Amino acid sequence: MLSRDTTLVASSAQGTTRLSFAQAINAALRQALELDPGVFVYGIGADGPAGIFGTTAGLVEKFGPKRVFDTPIAEAGLSALAAGAASNGLRPVLVHQRLDFMLYSVDQVVNWMAPWRFMSGGRAKMPVTIRAIIGKGWGQGPQHTKSLHAWFAHVPGLQVVMPGSPADAKGLLLSSVMSDDPTLFIEGRSLFSMQEDVPDAPYFIRLGEALVRRSGHDVTLVTMGSMIPLSLQAADTLATSTISAEVVDIRCLMPLDVESIIASVRKTGRLVVAEPGWRMYGAAAEIIATVAEALGRDMRSRPRRVTWPQSAVPTGSRLEEQFYPTSEDIVAACRASVTEDLTEE
Amino acid sequence: MNDAPLRTRLRLYRMMYLIRRTEELLMAEYHPADEMRCPMHFCVGQEAMPAALAPVVRRDDVLMSHYRSHGYYLAKGAPLDAMVAEFYGKNTGANSGVAGSMELGSHDHNFYSGAIVGGSLFIPLGAAFSQKYRGVDDISISVIGDGVFDEGITYEVFNLAALHRLPLLIICENNKYAAHTAIERRQAVTLLAERAKAFGLPIDKLDGNDAELLLATVERLVPQIRVGKGPHFIEIETYRFCGHVGPGTDEGAGYRTADEVERWKARDPVVALRKKLDVVPPAELEQLEREVDAEVHGAIAKAKRADFADIRAIIANNWAGEYAAVVDRFTSGTVPLFQAGQSEARPGPF
Repeated sequence: MLSRDTTLVASSAQGTTRLSFAQAINAALRQALELDPGVFVYGIGADGPAGIFGTTAGLVEKFGPKRVFDTPIAEAGLSALAAGAASNGLRPVLVHQRLDFMLYSVDQVVNWMAPWRFMSGGRAKMPVTIRAIIGKGWGQGPQHTKSLHAWFAHVPGLQVVMPGSPADAKGLLLSSVMSDDPTLFIEGRSLFSMQEDVPDAPYFIRLGEALVRRSGHDVTLVTMGSMIPLSLQAADTLATSTISAEVVDIRCLMPLDVESIIASVRKTGRLVVAEPGWRMYGAAAEIIATVAEALGRDMRSRPRRVTWPQSAVPTGSRLEEQFYPTSEDIVAACRASVTEDLTEE
Repeated sequence: MNDAPLRTRLRLYRMMYLIRRTEELLMAEYHPADEMRCPMHFCVGQEAMPAALAPVVRRDDVLMSHYRSHGYYLAKGAPLDAMVAEFYGKNTGANSGVAGSMELGSHDHNFYSGAIVGGSLFIPLGAAFSQKYRGVDDISISVIGDGVFDEGITYEVFNLAALHRLPLLIICENNKYAAHTAIERRQAVTLLAERAKAFGLPIDKLDGNDAELLLATVERLVPQIRVGKGPHFIEIETYRFCGHVGPGTDEGAGYRTADEVERWKARDPVVALRKKLDVVPPAELEQLEREVDAEVHGAIAKAKRADFADIRAIIANNWAGEYAAVVDRFTSGTVPLFQAGQSEARPGPF
């Protein structure tokens, strides 16, 4: 079983291919379908020529309409189908082209999938994977952009995964599909064209294990999902003025790798969290609270968070540009964190 | 007593009597003892349908009912002792004491229920999908009430069941009331089966208090569903003698008249079937009834003696934290890290 020392499970002897994030998702689905005959992939447009931004392209040709199929516009009913199929031995992968659309299915996810194992007294499994895509950029507006990762991570029984790079997307999606718990797999659409060398063989990333994407000693920058590239850019910028930021990609909101986050902040004494979502009651708030409880007065500066404003997302492109935080915002928060020194007071 | 129809009738009666007496004895224990601390929805008056399913369902069939679930739990062959212990919240309960009456289930017997109205459509829909996908001849049965027709999800499920020709039997117990609200106050058009028919489900509308008619119907339909004839919808007309929730009668709640309750009690399904057993020597019937009573009393006594689970063990049940065995085939290694310096895309138009 996946243990802590098998962060990435793949044979290094096998080759890699440079893939986009969307292609990496596609590769993970293809391998999941090959590895387990109980895996099926469905959602609006899943077997269409566009293949949900390329992520399901070619799957129906290889695996047939029994295992890859289009659906009515019935998010609640489709989620009910996932819950029942997972309770009866299958591993459904349900795809929503926008996370906003899946809100019809909150009852199925929160009232049924999430507590299913608990209600059974620990006897049952609920191996559902729900892929939900977040629109960002090019005028997506209030009903195409919501990132409710923190909402869902609040619910006991759910796992919430938010990959930030192609190789992680593949390994985390394979793990999500093969996990026995219901998993919301949140994909930032703005990451889809990013490239990375991705191992060809199947591999699994243990859910709940953070990845230190860049080592540093001045400030810990905890980040996730579509904030990953911005955070890495910010770390580059900070390095030019000799500030060394440690970039910790949490990968999963639930389970959350509290241990790795605290270990990093214990080293740096400073914490900035960059979260692609609303400010209040969010993942950043949870991470800061957890670190504050653990380290308290050992912090060398106050924790800071870089988030979306507490506002619905506007459509117009100029408005959108002003709405989303940038790598400069992350740089500014890290500089402020490093400049402040509570230990001198 | 070698008469096969008579033996069938006796088995049917035994199950109906078991359900009736379980409810009556639990109702008597509920107050003032207050040891069963969960909302309980008793099914007195609605015993015929679950009893009719008992001889036709197999262990691998999936059966899920609404929260008025006790009869269906017993009909699925799940153990009485574990059900009663569940109501008492004990470790020996079917769900280790976390579910109570409303989310009662027996995962070993593929029986489930739940509080949220309409939920009993969900698991059977997906389980039926799984049964067809895996090519087995098991079926799924969903039992709903007329209140489910108020919910929008119902029509998505009807459509998906018909679209995929799933091995799914949906049974609607129309007892005229959702909690305390009459169907006429909730729906402009009160035809139920006709709505299912509009989605492509073949339908039957039956007297829900005629256990033998219900048994004959499911004996005819279930084998057809097993061999791939697609989903089917049954609406039965029935009535609960007891209150919506708890051991009372809802007398004084003002939503139904004493006359109406009395009219339905004159059609008591348990009494009606017992009358048809007049060829059985009375002593034999009384013996059967004494045995059932002793079973129920025994289950209550055992439940009272049992221990509660440890809360730490219960909390640990929220996540499995496990993976499919296939994961073990892959060994450890590393992959190159994501190259920094890439910008987010500005995707579109789409």
